Amino acid sequence: MNSVLRIEGLYKTYPGSSSPALANASMEVRAGEVVSIIGASGAGKTTLMRCINRMVEPDAGAVFIEGTEITQLRDSELRNARRRIGMVFQHFNLVNRLTVMQNVLHGRLGYMNSLDGVMGRYSEDDKLRALNLLRETGLEEYAYKRAGELSGGQKQRVGIVRAVMQKPAVMLCDEPIASLDPANSRVIMDLICELAKQGNIGCLVNLHQVEVAMEFSDRIIGMKKGYIVYDGTTSALTDQKLEYIYDKPMHLLTIRSEVAQDG
Amino acid sequence: MEIGDLSTMSPSGVESEVAMIATQVRAVQMPEIAFTPVSALELPYSQRDAKIAVSIPRYTLPVTLFWGCVFILVIVSFLSLKLDFAKIFSRVGNLGGVVSKLSHLTSDKLDVAIGALMESVTVTILATVYGLMIGLIVGGLAAENITPWKPLAAILQSFFSLLRAVPTMIWALLVLVCLGFSPATGIVGMLFHVVAFFGRAFAQSFEEVPQATIEALLACGANRLQIFFSAIIPASLTSLIAWTALRFEVNFSESSILGMVGAGGIGYTIMASMSSYQMERAGTAILMVFVFAFSLELLLTSVKRKLKV
Repeated sequence: MNSVLRIEGLYKTYPGSSSPALANASMEVRAGEVVSIIGASGAGKTTLMRCINRMVEPDAGAVFIEGTEITQLRDSELRNARRRIGMVFQHFNLVNRLTVMQNVLHGRLGYMNSLDGVMGRYSEDDKLRALNLLRETGLEEYAYKRAGELSGGQKQRVGIVRAVMQKPAVMLCDEPIASLDPANSRVIMDLICELAKQGNIGCLVNLHQVEVAMEFSDRIIGMKKGYIVYDGTTSALTDQKLEYIYDKPMHLLTIRSEVAQDG
Repeated sequence: MEIGDLSTMSPSGVESEVAMIATQVRAVQMPEIAFTPVSALELPYSQRDAKIAVSIPRYTLPVTLFWGCVFILVIVSFLSLKLDFAKIFSRVGNLGGVVSKLSHLTSDKLDVAIGALMESVTVTILATVYGLMIGLIVGGLAAENITPWKPLAAILQSFFSLLRAVPTMIWALLVLVCLGFSPATGIVGMLFHVVAFFGRAFAQSFEEVPQATIEALLACGANRLQIFFSAIIPASLTSLIAWTALRFEVNFSESSILGMVGAGGIGYTIMASMSSYQMERAGTAILMVFVFAFSLELLLTSVKRKLKV
């Protein structure tokens, strides 16, 4: 399979910080593959993700989206590149006053000229596709509700549909389930995996929950202090390696299962 | 000294231990903070040095300073104006006579007064609508988070302050020189302040839109203009409507006043009637302004509530 996303030697140090947020990060994601990034808070997971679509400008290194290097692109070229990179956020980042349809169709703005975008003149094909995607995700009846009226799990599904509307090659999910309860988390992770396979989208998912990463990913990347310290299959991710990634003994990493056993 | 050390101290009775703690407490009590540490609570009330603080002086200082300044300014203003209270109180009774003359309403030349009121209303509407359109643009350019060029935002913000430093009346007089006596003078004269107000208020509303929302659209590949219309405006619509409604009311009262410098409208009717001692006509016109302004406020309030914007 071909890689839709490849990064080489990516560096980022935030101003005023002495240690790098991202150091010599290299990896790739293939089409249809779901790759989770795990690591402690501040390990650089979010920075890595945001450097890919240049919400954060990397200091050095290269990002290839479908073979095209994008770190030097400017203005309209950058916008065109971003169309191929969907993004899903922890806090959904919808426009709460607008309807679910309008929010979903925002995914098409990058493909429209300014005037059509400003006037909200979306093509019938786009609208049909939006409705179909909303039906697939069980949100059809909410299409004309304001996004602000939805529950967290529903909002995240809208966020995912918005990203998929872009017809992305790569989807970046920045802690997509961190604000959701366990049941909704499962729905969202299932949806991400399903849409990734269906659309042949390479997915990069930031996760705090190791168990979730183990269950849903094709591959796992472990980050520590800005460095990628693990890149391999879920089965090869041993307790020892997890302890190294999180710098904590295993019994502190598995609080959930211990509580369950005690109960 | 650690609490554990207490046990190793010379056993000279409980009192000395209490004294020790009290000394510690005083040591902690820096002169500038009258603050009782938690350890002092173990002491009986009579032995505590101060009442238990609920805040610290650093936080309450601004309020104290504010009231101090207000007090001083009131005294200074009072003394510098040399108000003659005897005169004020002896003449204030005349106000009753004026009000009673004004309250003798008349239907004489009512059509002229109504025409003048309508002129004020149309001036208000146009000044608000033009101001709104210009204000949305300059507000977008002046908002820190969406301006195409950061220094431009700062420049525009100071320009708005400059516009507002000159009273509307002066602007209208300046415009009067160019445009002569006409409603257009009122509209253009008011626009300076309306644009400055909307520019500032809208920029503030735009800046309150979460960066995350803007980022989501940036990530979709949307351009600045699309983000402005698809995310910024919808997300800040509630406050845009509130600011516009507020300014519409202000504009009406301003357009009424502007008539007095010759920009037409109901203000001119009031001033002309007053100066020719036709108090009845002036009173009627004033009542009309009041009724219109009051019903406008009621209408806007109920519309805002109904729409749940």
